[in-house]
Amino acid sequence: MTDKNQKLANQMLMHMISDFTNNELAPVDMLIDKQGDYPEGLFELAVQTGLLGITLPQQYGGAGFDYAATAQALQIMAAGNASLAVTLEGHFKTIEQFMKYGNPELNDHYLPLATHQILAFSQTEPSGGSNPTGITTRAVKQGDNWVITGDKIMITNGGLASVYCVLAKTEDDQLAVFVVDQDMPGFSFGKREDFIGLKGTPVAEIVMDHIVVPDYHLLGQVGQGLEIGDQAHADARVLMGAVLAGIMTHELQIAVDYAKERKALTTPLYQLQVTQQKIADIAIAKQNTELLYQQAAKLKVQGQPYAEIAAMAKSYGSRSAVKVGDETLQILGGYGYSRDYPIEHLIRDARAMELAEGSIEKMNLEITKAEINK
Amino acid sequence: MKIVVCIKQVPSTNDVKIDPQTHNLVRSADGVINPFDKNAIEAALKLRDQTNGEVILLSMGPESYRESLLEGLAMGADSAYLLSSRALGGADTLATGYPLSQAIQKIGDVELVLFGRQSVDADTGQVGPIVAEYLNVPQVTFAEAIDLTEDHHLIGKRRLDAAEQEVEVELPAAVTVRSEMNQPRYATPRQIQKSFEKPLTVWTEQDLDLDPERIGLAGSPTQVTQVYAPAAAKKRVTMLTGTPEHAVQELLQSL
Ligand SMILES: Cc1cc2nc3c(=O)[nH]c(=O)nc-3n(C[C@H](O)[C@H](O)[C@H](O)COP(=O)(O)OP(=O)(O)OC[C@H]3O[C@@H](n4cnc5c(N)ncnc54)[C@H](O)[C@@H]3O)c2cc1C
Repeated sequence: MTDKNQKLANQMLMHMISDFTNNELAPVDMLIDKQGDYPEGLFELAVQTGLLGITLPQQYGGAGFDYAATAQALQIMAAGNASLAVTLEGHFKTIEQFMKYGNPELNDHYLPLATHQILAFSQTEPSGGSNPTGITTRAVKQGDNWVITGDKIMITNGGLASVYCVLAKTEDDQLAVFVVDQDMPGFSFGKREDFIGLKGTPVAEIVMDHIVVPDYHLLGQVGQGLEIGDQAHADARVLMGAVLAGIMTHELQIAVDYAKERKALTTPLYQLQVTQQKIADIAIAKQNTELLYQQAAKLKVQGQPYAEIAAMAKSYGSRSAVKVGDETLQILGGYGYSRDYPIEHLIRDARAMELAEGSIEKMNLEITKAEINK
Repeated sequence: MKIVVCIKQVPSTNDVKIDPQTHNLVRSADGVINPFDKNAIEAALKLRDQTNGEVILLSMGPESYRESLLEGLAMGADSAYLLSSRALGGADTLATGYPLSQAIQKIGDVELVLFGRQSVDADTGQVGPIVAEYLNVPQVTFAEAIDLTEDHHLIGKRRLDAAEQEVEVELPAAVTVRSEMNQPRYATPRQIQKSFEKPLTVWTEQDLDLDPERIGLAGSPTQVTQVYAPAAAKKRVTMLTGTPEHAVQELLQSL
């Protein structure tokens, strides 16, 4: 495809995602938060509309859009509702790991399913998520197979996804990633987390009791587990930066609309300097996050290092979306504190991303390490 | 079964501008498929899936209309034709219907031609019936449902302002589609990419061997002299007060 046509195709994708967001997502944003799940048929419609295949290469039945276009699509979507965008983020970053580390047999088996089934990535265990060398999930080699036993918690799309990449330790204490699926004997789902935000995105526990997988279910090599985990984080952070920019787009819209309409006696709020300062803060934070994730995505597409910028996008973006969400709430006064208005749930939604895909503290350590080693 | 869907690109925003000189609509660069035409595409795709047919999009307009055709291809249509040249510009509904009907004849073996019930910018609803007349095929306008019968007929349910009507016509036929007929599908991301690989042919008046007298501004018997927003009629309400008798007296007097 020529560059000109690809640009047009990207534009068509953004139009289509805006239509989908305006028609299907924005109208149920509050409902998703209140009922703590996607309304019936929404996820199915997303599948039917081919949204699971945006990044998936065409050879596997996907659309093969690049990561920058995909991230932009998620920003548009997240401005209507962040839960579905995070569901897709978890799926897309996992597809990336198959593409980078998967052997042909593994990819031929699982990637064609990725147009209609979700793939998930599981590192965190009850004992902790920030320090993956401490995991207890075991992979024991038995002939040509591996036997996997362990417990993973807080897995994005747990229960909704059918395929799970899991970080495990081999007998010689090396980290490796294996691919299991929900139909395998020994696989079961544990509890769904009762998280305070992103109420549509299911996050749940998976339990693996002596699951036997053939050798080709090893993603990458034994000993590459940590690297793959870091890579998955970097890819996730680009997209989460986009989701956060989307949440801030929504916050900005709410703040601006309200400041134009609401009056302090006869003066519209936007004419008050205190409100103007807040709106500028929101707009700057949104714009910065947008620039960071877009730069990270562009570097990734160009094959250049992007992990540090991706960490910045999510670290800065998550903190900012919570902070300027709070400023938006303040502009709305008492209504902002009400569950009848969306702003409080946007803060809760954004708050998840100070933890998911690596805590702010961990990301900031990585950024500092990168700067010191420059 | 070959189905042609005629589609038009319309401005995506509501602020339609009118050229003060020609009184024609200024076509904004940022266009979308006329919403009713999307219903027509959806109807065609459904019929195609039932009958193993083929959906061909047809539009007349400037080069920028290509984007709407690509969108229709991304919804799932198989191929597209764009009639585009300077000579075809400035056409009214008659000078639009004529080239479209000639194109349909050139495509050949078309059994069903679908249109949206009207375009949302010009609102005439005339092009469908004009094409049907040129092709000399039966037409079902304002259809909210269509069905094919085994004996090569089409049953259409028409919804009119104060009536419903069911008509049966022999194929080939032309139908203009109401939005009640269906919910148009979204273009899928994969089909968006694939739409660029599908055949999209541009034809000019030469390819269709058109009569130069009957196309473009010269071939348009309708001249738009003025387009204006009607002044909102001012309604006056007079309150009649006092006793009922007094109010009735006053009412009779004022009438
Ligand atoms: C919405 C959501 C979705 C999630 N999805 C997934 C998923 O799909 N897959 C998955 O594997 N996990 C997922 N997680 C888990 C997430 O990755 C972990 O919550 C995160 O890594 C932190 O781990 P923890 O909760 O065990 O906290 P801990 O690791 O116990 O950390 C507690 C606190 O100590 C700090 N801390 C811990 N260790 C260090 C250190 N070495 N240096 C500096 N600070 C440190 C942390 O920053 C944090 O503030 C998800 C979490 C959320 C909230």
